[in-house]
Amino acid sequence: MSGGLTFQHFFPQASSWVEGLATTPVAVFVNGPKFGYASWEVGHILSLILLGGTAILMNLRLLGAGVTEEEPREIYRNLRLWQTIGVVGIIVTGLLIGSANAVKLYNSSAFTVKMMALLAGIILTYGVSRPVAAANGAVGLFPKIWFAIGGAIFLAGLWILCTTDLINVGVYHVITAAALILIPVTRGRLRWGYIAGMVALIVAQFVHTHVIIKPDDYGHLNPVNKTYTALYAVWIVGTALITRFRGKGEEGGPLTKLVAYFAILVWVLGATAGRWIAYQ
Amino acid sequence: MIGAFLNWLQHGWGKGPTPDGQSFSELLLGSLNFWSLLEGTHLLMLMLFAGTIMVVDLRLLGVTFRKTRVSVISDAILPLTVFSFALVVVSGIALVFSRPITYYHTVWFLAKMVFLALALLNIMVFHGRVQATQGSWDADETPPRAARMSAAASLILWTLVIICGRFTPYDVYQCGKKQPDFINWIQQCKTSEKGEENMAGQRFDAQMWRQQ
Repeated sequence: MSGGLTFQHFFPQASSWVEGLATTPVAVFVNGPKFGYASWEVGHILSLILLGGTAILMNLRLLGAGVTEEEPREIYRNLRLWQTIGVVGIIVTGLLIGSANAVKLYNSSAFTVKMMALLAGIILTYGVSRPVAAANGAVGLFPKIWFAIGGAIFLAGLWILCTTDLINVGVYHVITAAALILIPVTRGRLRWGYIAGMVALIVAQFVHTHVIIKPDDYGHLNPVNKTYTALYAVWIVGTALITRFRGKGEEGGPLTKLVAYFAILVWVLGATAGRWIAYQ
Repeated sequence: MIGAFLNWLQHGWGKGPTPDGQSFSELLLGSLNFWSLLEGTHLLMLMLFAGTIMVVDLRLLGVTFRKTRVSVISDAILPLTVFSFALVVVSGIALVFSRPITYYHTVWFLAKMVFLALALLNIMVFHGRVQATQGSWDADETPPRAARMSAAASLILWTLVIICGRFTPYDVYQCGKKQPDFINWIQQCKTSEKGEENMAGQRFDAQMWRQQ
C-alpha cells in the first residue's frame, strides 16, 4: 500500500504553474457565479450519463446481451453521435472543473487514476470497441493493437486504485459493476450458479466482518476484507472467462467479449476515481 | 411533528444507553468507507439508469434507432433501467437517512423530490395511456405526438432531478444564512436548528419561534 502516484510525483516542476491556474480567467469564470462550479459539475455528470448509457448498450450487444434483435453495427450507428457528445462533454466540463480545482487534483492519486481511465477509455472506445461493433464483432489488426495499449493503461490505473490508501475501497465499484454486467450476459444454470456464489460470498464477508471479527477491529478487518475482495474478483473473472467461450447468437469470439468487458469497465473506473477525488 | 421524527431518525434511533452512543444514522454518516461507497453507488447506478432511459426516450422522440421497433428497444433496455432505478432508490434512501434533518431543510433536495414525483407520474401516464395504443405506432420512425411529449417530459424531468441532486450539497441556500423569505419558507428554516434570517437581516432562531 502507498500514498499513491500523483501528477506532482510525475511533474514536480509544474507546481507553480498549477498553483497559478486558480487565477486564470477560466478558473475565475467557473468559480465566479453563485452556481458556476456546480453547474459545470452537472454538465460533467450529464455527459457521463450519456457516455455511460451508450457505452453499456453498445458493449453489452458485443457480449450478446441488451438489444440483441439488432446487429452490433446498427447499435453502433445509432449511438455513436451521442457517445461522442458524451466524451466531448466530459472532457470540456472536466477541463473547466479541473482548472478551478487544479492544486487539489495535482496532489490526488484518484485524479491520476481518472486521467489514466480517460485515456484508456478513449483508446478502448474509439480505437477498439466502436470499430469492432462497426465490423459486427470482428476484431481487426489495429483494434488488437489499440486494445493492447488501452487495456494495459486501464489495468495500470486499476492497479494504482487497488494499491493506494484511502481510494482503494473504490475498487468495490469496479467489482460491483463487473458483477452486475455478468447477470444479463450469463444464461441458465451458469447465471444462477454465479448469483448464488456471489450471494454466498457477500453473506460470508458480512458474518466474518460483523460477527467473527468486531466491526471496529481494523487491524484484523483489513486483511479479511482484502481477501474477500480478491475472492470476488476471482469469482467474477472466472465466470467472465466461461462466458467468453459460451453463448449463442452473438457475433465475434472470445476477444470481442474481452474488448466489451474492458470498454465498459474502463468508464466505471473513470467515474469511480472521479468520485473518489472528493473523499481522498 | 416532522421535525421531531427527523430528529429521532438522525439522533435517536438505535442510540445505545451510554452518553457517547451513536444512532444508526450517525454510525452510517461516520462510517470509514461505507457512506462513500453508498454515494459512489448512487452515482454509478444513476449513470446506468439515466443513460438507458435516455436511449429509450430518444427512440420515442424519433431521434435514434428509427428503423427499430420501439418495443424492441424498450423490452431490451427497460429491465436494466428498472434494476438500476431500484438501486438508485435504495442507495438514495440510505444517503438521506444519514442526514435527514439537513435534507429536509434544503430547497434543492425538496425540489428534487418534486421533480422525481413528476417523473414517476409521467411514467405512469405513459404506461397507462400512451402505451395502450403502441401496437399501432410501434414501428413508426417518428412515434405520435403523445409519445414524443412523454419522452421529452421524461428527459427534462430526469435532468432536473439530476441538477437538483448535484446542487443539494452546496450551501448557497442554507437555514441560518441571510436569504429570501420564500426560500426560508420552503426550507422550513423556522423549525431548523439554525433558525432563519431574512434579507432585511431579521433573525429568528428556533427557540424564538417556539416561544411565539
